[in-house]
Amino acid sequence: MVFLVSLLVIRLWYLQILKGSHFRNLSENNRIRSVYIQAPRGLIFDRKGELWASNRPAFNVELIKEDCPDEKKVLAKIEEIVELPAGSLSLNSPLSRRRRPFEPRVIMKDVSREVVAKIEARKAELPGVVIEATPTRDYLQGELGAHVTGYIREITKDQLADSKYAGYQQGELVGQFGLESHLEEMIHGVRGLKRIEVNAMGMRIGEFSSESERMGNDIHLTINSEMQRAAVEGLAGKKGAVVALDVNTGEILTMVSMPAYDPNIFTGEVKPDVWNDLINGRPSKLNNRVLQAAYPPGSVFKVITGLAGLSEKVVTPRDKVYCPGYYHFAGRNYRCHKKSGHGYVDFESALIQSCDVYYYSLATKLGIDVINSYATRLGLGAPSGLGLAHESRGLMPSTEWKRLYFKKPEDKVWYPGETLSVVIGQGATTTTPIQIAKMIAAIANGGKLLRPQLVREIRGGDNNLLQGFTPEVLSQIDFDPNVLKLVRKALVGVVNDPRGTGGRSKLKKFPDRIVAGKTGTSQVVALEARLKHEDFEDHAWFAAYAPEEAPEVAVAVLVENGGHGGTAAAPVAGMVLEKYFESRSR
Amino acid sequence: MLLIDRRIFKYFNYHLLGVAALIAICGLMVLYSAGYNPDSPGVPLGAFSINVKSAAFAKQFAFFGAGLVAMLFGMLLSSTSLHRLAIPGYILAIILLLGVALFGTVVNGSRRWFDLGGLRFQPSELVKVAIILLIARYLSRVSPPPGGFKLRDLFAPGALLLLPMALIMKQPDLGTALVVGATGAGMLLFAGVNFRTLIMLALVAAISAIPVWYSLHDYQRNRILTLINPGADPLGSGYHLNQSKIAVGSGEFLGKGYLQGTQSQLEFLPEHTTDFVFSVLAEEWGFMGCVLVVGLYATLIFQLLNMASKIRDLFGAYVIIGVATLFTFHFVTNIGMVIGVLPVVGITLPLFSYGGSSVIVCMLALGIALGIGMRRYQFGQ
Repeated sequence: MVFLVSLLVIRLWYLQILKGSHFRNLSENNRIRSVYIQAPRGLIFDRKGELWASNRPAFNVELIKEDCPDEKKVLAKIEEIVELPAGSLSLNSPLSRRRRPFEPRVIMKDVSREVVAKIEARKAELPGVVIEATPTRDYLQGELGAHVTGYIREITKDQLADSKYAGYQQGELVGQFGLESHLEEMIHGVRGLKRIEVNAMGMRIGEFSSESERMGNDIHLTINSEMQRAAVEGLAGKKGAVVALDVNTGEILTMVSMPAYDPNIFTGEVKPDVWNDLINGRPSKLNNRVLQAAYPPGSVFKVITGLAGLSEKVVTPRDKVYCPGYYHFAGRNYRCHKKSGHGYVDFESALIQSCDVYYYSLATKLGIDVINSYATRLGLGAPSGLGLAHESRGLMPSTEWKRLYFKKPEDKVWYPGETLSVVIGQGATTTTPIQIAKMIAAIANGGKLLRPQLVREIRGGDNNLLQGFTPEVLSQIDFDPNVLKLVRKALVGVVNDPRGTGGRSKLKKFPDRIVAGKTGTSQVVALEARLKHEDFEDHAWFAAYAPEEAPEVAVAVLVENGGHGGTAAAPVAGMVLEKYFESRSR
Repeated sequence: MLLIDRRIFKYFNYHLLGVAALIAICGLMVLYSAGYNPDSPGVPLGAFSINVKSAAFAKQFAFFGAGLVAMLFGMLLSSTSLHRLAIPGYILAIILLLGVALFGTVVNGSRRWFDLGGLRFQPSELVKVAIILLIARYLSRVSPPPGGFKLRDLFAPGALLLLPMALIMKQPDLGTALVVGATGAGMLLFAGVNFRTLIMLALVAAISAIPVWYSLHDYQRNRILTLINPGADPLGSGYHLNQSKIAVGSGEFLGKGYLQGTQSQLEFLPEHTTDFVFSVLAEEWGFMGCVLVVGLYATLIFQLLNMASKIRDLFGAYVIIGVATLFTFHFVTNIGMVIGVLPVVGITLPLFSYGGSSVIVCMLALGIALGIGMRRYQFGQ
């Protein structure tokens, strides 16, 4: 007896005294359910305060299983009411954990007010169906800002497992791609919390305590929406990219990748065919061609070759090369783009007319590794420094690159003939549009390689400034000022000399603003194959800055399979630059 | 028959009655909370013009009224008349068990009850008293040989025990079958069982555990497994035990306060008016309340054993020992189950758990014990 009683008392002591607080916790968890309230995300504005992204309520149709005697019947009824094909609705189950009692499951996401009205009107026939309003994004500019902002979507399984998203709940909306993802921490806000007392059936007894949600911080972009629109207009119907930088600060004024998508579609259900269309191709609609796609730069690269040639003093500006339309090297003829040849060309006329033979002649004198060192100092072959995810580095070949990346001994050797391809921006060389813009901006500003930036300001509650803008010089390249002057003079010629290839970028509305730039037409494949398929059409490039005497803005345009740089890309650059001066003069 | 003698009052065990009354008061108080519903319109309390917000309490209050009648009836029976009633009582109990097996009402999958026009009566509860009387009668006639009963001496009482146990097990009602078996076995053990026989029986029990394990229902097997590993299925077979342990543990030292137990008030705790009523006490009154109630039960049992030791009438003494065994087994296994040291079997906490049959039989048994005690002068002191 005494033994049994003491056994009970010892056990009670263990449960109630030693483990008491543990069990007290468990009992609190039992009865108190935390309901999180998603905070509205911070707003996104362009540099002039035009609203790019705001928040709006999204209406979800949800079903509470406990209140619904026959789920299938109710789903069929909803399909009938909103005129959907039978069997198209199903219950989304939570990703990882068990559903709690009385926790609603989403049937339809972000439905129209019309659907809400239809369902509300026949609620009596739909037991267990509720309509829940949650904040979601409204991208007011649609496709215009898609690649800059990215979009938001329900957190994925992988993201939930990622430490970057520690503390996130299943079902929360998070930024995917672009700035929405890059600045997630700043823009997401602090979710609210309601502690609700529930009974064992999960029925709400009362509210216990709550913390209100805090809206995310507002982002003010460096983007100029008018220039952005001009770029979209310029690329209409084409695939390509436009990026414009403030030459003196690195601010990105325009960042357009076409074709684009409407980020608003991700707030609802994305149908498989829509999704397939988005991810189809490489690069796909989802990819930001400004950053994520690298193309051979073509003749734009001649700016770098020329700069290297003068700086290394392998030629003088006055040295002339005779172009008969080809260049004979190592038992082979390398063609100039002009079959009949350019005759005698010096540094300036070679760049203006984009004479290949002149640069071939520099190739052997410079060698690949010297060319590589100039290109890398100008930011090629490396991420731009903007910091958005999935950026391509492009490729700037060298003897070392060949040695490291090839397996067979005969592939590891650099052949001098390959240098001839590199000097005119062909061969293995690839660059992203942002690298080209950064490079041409450095030529324009006297050798400052600036970090491209998209954010002007981040402002928190009460409009108080959390992060301002500071230009960041990644490196200062000490080019001989006289050499730079000669290069820039030649670039002015490309646009303004009657023989120049870039004349179509001239600003008709601002004839006194002199544009300087370089065209590029990069071969996708060998000439013979090109004729068979439009995908093999050349990529058109144009890189420019203006105004010539005191550069303010640089722009790089790429038109995929657009043909000649001077005809396909230069006019787009002209439109964007024109918009810059238009919006500045106001 | 009833002789009013002043000595009845002299020998009446007021301590026992007092402790039982304290337990009953505590039990009613806890049950009020267990059945408490703040939104209830109020249930009339018996014939009184009081409305209470606890339906279980109101019914239990009425059961205690019936229990008092049963107690008085038990006190009326003298040792001699009980002795005479032992065999017919046992036979009646067996007939009732057979009857319930044939004509009983099925509730929650077991056939345990007779439906008497709205009132349900559970004959297996009555078997508890019948078995006490029968074994006491057997022990008063066959005294154990020196060194205790040998195996062959145990065949007859063993068979008498196993018959009702088997019938109750069939219902199925493992808890009550165990109570009946344990009460009888406890009484035999008290009389004295040969040590070697005891060891042998223990071995036989251990070996027979294997076939018994396979004859158990799945849910019964799960309850035992749950005890070993409570976390295995927290929403299934482990739910009862987990929630009960949370309720008990979260009471800490002083409890959450009367009517403040979240586990029971919010219905996380199943069966919190019946088998798991102790966890309501533990949650709301904490370690202090638990120790107090365990102490009250220990005192009750001590009072019974003390009383038995003073009685010259062998039959009477064994009956009281039987009652003590019954209470001990009930309270130890019930609390043991609630606090997770014994498997979950349907055994009530006497005078605490909600239920008419349980309250009435407990009070009848106490009445019998008090009646024997107060008449002990009849057999010389």
